[in-house]
Amino acid sequence: MMDPSETDNFNNQWKKAFENASETPPPSVWEGIEARLDRDENDIIPLWWRTPKLWYAAASIIALLVVGGGFWLNNKNSGNFSGQGSVEMASKQPDVKQDSKNLNEELSDFPVADTNKNEPFIAKSQPEVEKSSDQNERVAAIERKSEKTSTPDKPILDKINSAGGERAIAKAKPIKESDLIIENKDINEGNLAAEIASVKVSALKEKEGASIADLKPQEAIAAVENEVMEINALTPMPYNELAVYMQKRYVFFKPEIVKEEKLPELKKSNEYWAGVGIMPATFNPDVQIKEAPTAFSALQNSRQKSLNGTNKAGNSFALQTQGGMRLSKHWSVEMGLSYLKGNSQYEGGGYVLDPANARSTNVLENAMVSLSDKAALNYDASSGGFGQTLANTVYIEVSKNIGNNYQYLQLPLQAGFTLNPDKKLSYSVLGGMMANFFLSNELETASGDVIRTTASDEVYRSLNWAATTGLRLNYKLATRWKASLMGSYQRAVSSGFRANQSMESHPYLYGVSWGMLYSF
Amino acid sequence: MTFNEQELVNGCKQRNRLAQKQLYDVFGGKLFAICMRYTKNRSDAEDVLQDAFIKIYENISSFRNDSPLEYWLRSVVVNTALNHLRQQKYLKDLDDIEVYENGIADREVTLGDFQMQQLMGLIQELPPGCQVIFNLYAIEGYQHNEIAQKLGISEGTSKSQYARARGILQQKLNREKRFDDGSVRNRQL
Repeated sequence: MMDPSETDNFNNQWKKAFENASETPPPSVWEGIEARLDRDENDIIPLWWRTPKLWYAAASIIALLVVGGGFWLNNKNSGNFSGQGSVEMASKQPDVKQDSKNLNEELSDFPVADTNKNEPFIAKSQPEVEKSSDQNERVAAIERKSEKTSTPDKPILDKINSAGGERAIAKAKPIKESDLIIENKDINEGNLAAEIASVKVSALKEKEGASIADLKPQEAIAAVENEVMEINALTPMPYNELAVYMQKRYVFFKPEIVKEEKLPELKKSNEYWAGVGIMPATFNPDVQIKEAPTAFSALQNSRQKSLNGTNKAGNSFALQTQGGMRLSKHWSVEMGLSYLKGNSQYEGGGYVLDPANARSTNVLENAMVSLSDKAALNYDASSGGFGQTLANTVYIEVSKNIGNNYQYLQLPLQAGFTLNPDKKLSYSVLGGMMANFFLSNELETASGDVIRTTASDEVYRSLNWAATTGLRLNYKLATRWKASLMGSYQRAVSSGFRANQSMESHPYLYGVSWGMLYSF
Repeated sequence: MTFNEQELVNGCKQRNRLAQKQLYDVFGGKLFAICMRYTKNRSDAEDVLQDAFIKIYENISSFRNDSPLEYWLRSVVVNTALNHLRQQKYLKDLDDIEVYENGIADREVTLGDFQMQQLMGLIQELPPGCQVIFNLYAIEGYQHNEIAQKLGISEGTSKSQYARARGILQQKLNREKRFDDGSVRNRQL
């Protein structure tokens, strides 16, 4: 007996050892999971479109676009940038004044070359500040120039840098148009304004040929003010970014594009079964004599009466083997091979007696003998002959049975529909055709003679088709074994005798079979 | 982008693939270790882990926040592993067995001397029934009556299988320990 405390200690050690145990699974596991999830999601309607949050987001984006678009259009149409620009400029003025004291130094230090490295933000300045009074034209010019993404004329900027000492060059080549590139978008507007101011003042100085001392601060500020306003005119563009936000949202909610993969086709799981059975049955050959045979036709009273014979079904049986294949949940197809021993009796039709040799013959016997040469030979040999002279024969109207037994080999082909296929008790309705291969027929006469007819005698059709139907109860005994009880009905669709014979036969059968089925 | 546990659950409920992947990244290692304990080899453990995660994603909506997420995930993995073992027919012949004492009093071995991989190997080498019941009882902490109900066996079977597992493990641990001791090894050789 284990000590409980010892057991607990033992278990606790194991528990502790594996409490935080971790083992990295290989990447193939997640790939497999993802593939199965993808496969599952093919059939799933995405939920995101039903999410109210998405609709709120979409509505707010649309509202933002409408408001933003209206605001942008309003700005564009009005063309008035003085408001914000003036205020900003006013706040920048002290810096500019302070910076103007050391303009020459600043010109040499101004990182124009550096600003040429990047070009996210291009501003274009025009030295001829006094001449160009129309701000709208400038804005248009700025917009045109801002479309250029290439680096502007570096030589011109270099000229601005060296403007302090080389006035002659400046005079020979007055700068009509100089591009300034402010590279850093994050630069604050105060510094930007100051830098632009310093550049502009130097440009003005160069153009006018005046010394730095001659340039009045107010003029410089006024000149710079115009240029800063041009730059400010570029600022109300961030609405472009709205599209980016919108896109990001859609990307977030966008269902992943699922690659179409050809899934391996699921292999159909056909179920096969085989079975054996025995079927007690009642078999009726339904033989009809159409014309009175020779011995009977000679007599006036027997001609019609001989045709009144009837068939009586006898106890018969069939040994059956069958094989089936399940096509779908309910449907199946079945084939089989059976041996049928069909016994019956023929009654009536009367006898003809030959007083000369005291031999009598039944109408069926006589009809059969007249159909088959071989049967006639057998019959003559066994009975000593009948009807050599038909003149003295007498018709006796007596009802006596003679045995009429058949043997067939049967090949049924049936379709089946099964109810409750996977339950313990299932029901199958079957229907189909059956090929009956004639083996033999034996007529047992009242006198004990046997007239045997086989397929080679060419009296009966060697193959006779019959329709068959039935209802089968299947009881599941084990996983693979089933017991079956089936009631079936078979009926020949054509005569068992060859064409143009004086007899017809449409055998039919009722039977109840019991069998065992084994599923593979 | 990372989620906290609640966001992970919500994301998985909405079938957000990022959340599903993160849930796998966070818990996949621990759950894989559980799968390894219940199976005989790595390949089977991978199959169980894959099935378990599919179940987790499909049934995450049934998870309530009244228990920690990890407990719920562990229980799904354990159940998946048991189903897997049933399919493999490992749990078919679980009978009540008699446990024979070998009469040798093994000295108590502390598991701290062993690495997790070694212990995992010892568990995987147990007979299938013993392996499952030892896992459920000793490590998962189920009671024998719960195990009996879970596996459809008698409580006595669960107890005897556990005792057998314990005996086998004790013997193996002692043997391993002795082999680590040079003097014992020389004597045996």
